[in-house]
Amino acid sequence: MLSLRYEDKETPIHKLNPFCKLSWLASIFILALIFNNPLYLLLLFLSTLPLIIAARVWREWTYLMKFALYLCLAIIAINAIVSSHGSHLLWEAPLRIPLIGAPVITLEAIFFGVGMSLRLLAIISAFAILTFTIHPDDIMLAMIKMKLPYKSVLVTSLSTRFIPTLIDDAERISEVQRSRGLELDRGRLRQRIKNRMAITIPLLSNCLDRTVQVAEAMESRAFGSGEKRTYYKEIKLSKLDIPILILGFLPLVLGILMRWWGHGDYQYYPTLGKISLDGFEYSMLALLILLLCMMVFLALLKKRIELD
Amino acid sequence: MIKIENFTFYYGDAKRPALNGVNLEVEDGEFVLVTGPSGGGKSSLCRCLNGLIPHFYGGKVNGRIEVAGLDTLKHSTKELATKVGMIFQDPENQLVTMDVEREIAFGLENLAFSQDLIARRLEESLDTLDISGLRHRQVHELSGGEKQKVAIASVLALHPEILVLDEPTSELDPKSAEEVLAIAQRLNDELGITVILIEHRLDRVIQHVDRLVVLDGGRVVADGNTRDILSNSFQEITEIGVGMPPIIKLAQGLKNAGISINNMPLTVKEGRLMLNGVFKKSFESLAQPDGKSYSKTIINVKKLWYVYPEGPTALKKVSLKVDEGEFLAIMGRNASGKTTLVKHFNGLLKPTRGMVSVDDTDTRKATVAELASKVGFVFQNPNDHLFADTVEEEIGFTLRNQGLKDEETKPRVDEMLQRFSLQDYRNQYPRSLSGGEKQRVALASVLAMQPRILILDEPTRGMEYRLKSDLMSFLREYTSQGNTVILVTHDVETVAEHADRVILLSEGEIVVDGKKRDVLSKALLFSPQINRLVQAFDKYGVPDNILTVDELLQTLK
Repeated sequence: MLSLRYEDKETPIHKLNPFCKLSWLASIFILALIFNNPLYLLLLFLSTLPLIIAARVWREWTYLMKFALYLCLAIIAINAIVSSHGSHLLWEAPLRIPLIGAPVITLEAIFFGVGMSLRLLAIISAFAILTFTIHPDDIMLAMIKMKLPYKSVLVTSLSTRFIPTLIDDAERISEVQRSRGLELDRGRLRQRIKNRMAITIPLLSNCLDRTVQVAEAMESRAFGSGEKRTYYKEIKLSKLDIPILILGFLPLVLGILMRWWGHGDYQYYPTLGKISLDGFEYSMLALLILLLCMMVFLALLKKRIELD
Repeated sequence: MIKIENFTFYYGDAKRPALNGVNLEVEDGEFVLVTGPSGGGKSSLCRCLNGLIPHFYGGKVNGRIEVAGLDTLKHSTKELATKVGMIFQDPENQLVTMDVEREIAFGLENLAFSQDLIARRLEESLDTLDISGLRHRQVHELSGGEKQKVAIASVLALHPEILVLDEPTSELDPKSAEEVLAIAQRLNDELGITVILIEHRLDRVIQHVDRLVVLDGGRVVADGNTRDILSNSFQEITEIGVGMPPIIKLAQGLKNAGISINNMPLTVKEGRLMLNGVFKKSFESLAQPDGKSYSKTIINVKKLWYVYPEGPTALKKVSLKVDEGEFLAIMGRNASGKTTLVKHFNGLLKPTRGMVSVDDTDTRKATVAELASKVGFVFQNPNDHLFADTVEEEIGFTLRNQGLKDEETKPRVDEMLQRFSLQDYRNQYPRSLSGGEKQRVALASVLAMQPRILILDEPTRGMEYRLKSDLMSFLREYTSQGNTVILVTHDVETVAEHADRVILLSEGEIVVDGKKRDVLSKALLFSPQINRLVQAFDKYGVPDNILTVDELLQTLK
């Protein structure tokens, strides 16, 4: 069965130090936010693919992307309807709404939606690497290393720990109530909401009971006994990891410089700008993407070196 | 060593004390079984031992408790963690990390142990419990029994002097339960850890323990050597609602008949020795009382296959007919397909291949809601049932789902309230009731529909004796009115006493189907205790299909 959870597939990507993956993720995330140019955003999105393939999380990724695509369609549709800044009119509604006027759909508004979607896809795809290839407890450790308070991090990790339990609970309770003749999709909206309560209330109450029991169990195992706490497993940066970490941040530095020089911007409104890059910009962009894709190569290299 | 001196405790603003003047001393290395009816104070007592009472649960305290030289009122639960290890009922709710190694390390990390020491303790704990095969597994993939073992390992890593287990097996199937209890016994025997075990079922553990403590109404009502208490206070303990193992009941029955018993038997073997002297007389052959005749088939399963989506094949060509008025028990190991089979009877699952018809309706053509008027389904945990604001509303819910009007609903609800003696709770919030009351509300809410078929999925797991016998006598009455009861269970003794017919499933196939007397006698480990006992005596002409204590006592007359 396809589980959208971390699973150790023992690929070089899974073996890579979480901090290295996080540095790469941070680069893509920030770059996707500072660039507007759809070509840049498309290339950012494409540069996540080698990692996805190398980590063998292709099936999970496709599943995730299906949802992301729906989201993108919604973004494009809503932006097209709401925004009226463009100058190339494609369609005009035959009715007039007071104060706003007739709703229009313009070429520019659709393109803007497409650009934003590319940005979103790049970010989601990069986060897929985080979700599918870093052990949740390692994410927790990484956050603690970054000086986030232990208790808040633990709460986050506990909620991840109990997601499968919660799903089982919800399935079971829904079977119980259906056996009592409950039909979820019967009646008007108000009735339907009321129907859901038969599942929601037991689910939430069971959850609360669980919380108390978990707290008891943690207390009984000396949770919070002192200021200091040790960690059995630590994320240690090896000699190999440090250059990889630095290389992970390199695209970010380069991207910021490019933005500083005025590259990577794009004009959507009122008329679409041209995507014309000069030779220098082309080569810089190529270098940027190459650096991002390097992470796969580095992961493979690291594994090779460790094997020797 | 544990020393409890005149200890009284009230939860929050409760009017009745949970513990009332308890005095108890436990020596190092003892194995103590604490039992009693629910609400008797068992869980409260164990929460005192590591300071959860009064540090976690506030309330009024009087008296004194000393555990391993520390006063629990002055030392917090965290400080006591290295002295007292606690294992709770639900294995799911005591594991806090995602993988086994980190889980075991959790307590040690909290105490700021060095990584080397953690690594060593981790190794030790895994070996002691023989679960090193689980070390790289994720917690959510483990079975209930495996989770409970990991919980024990994670507590053991702290090297406690005392291990307290609060009904550790009530959520487990019999095999895992046996394993967990065997572990507790081994830790006591080989490592000298003091074990305090809370259990309401005595039959599985009684032979392992040195000492029995019975709690009722927050007081210690019996305390001492197991055999002594069972032979001297049998009557009192049975009356407060503690279920006795069949062998003990048998010994008591013989005593009442004027036969002297020197040594109270605790195991099947000791039981046989006890009977050696008794079985020299002649026997009446056993009248076969299960000759019920049935007129009409109500559930018909034809060549049923079921495959879970992207999962295993759970049922393989199962064919089965259930008659009106039958009391059918479905037994089998975990994941043998029991629950999958019964979920077909009310349409929660539809056949992958084959056919299931209920009261001449093909389940593929009916919704779960439509079938709900004919088939009632009671699930194990009443907490999954209850959601309404009042008991009355909860019971009426099933009826309103069938589109009944208020004036039709009311008399039926009243009838149910009366039938299950819930009138006093009519306007109370169902979830705040006690465990047994909740169970009754859940049952009443299903039975309000007057379904002709009632399915119960492991209703007795973790249920105390008195509740169980009430439920069973109700079910018998229900079948005598011509209704059909289907019970999914692991509990051989209950089946031996109450069912008419038994089906044994294995790997999705029916391996045995027949009258309970034929299925349960001479079935090695699947036989009830008493049957295992009499099997050795058929050379004297003792009928080898005796299943219960009463039947055996009858033949002795």
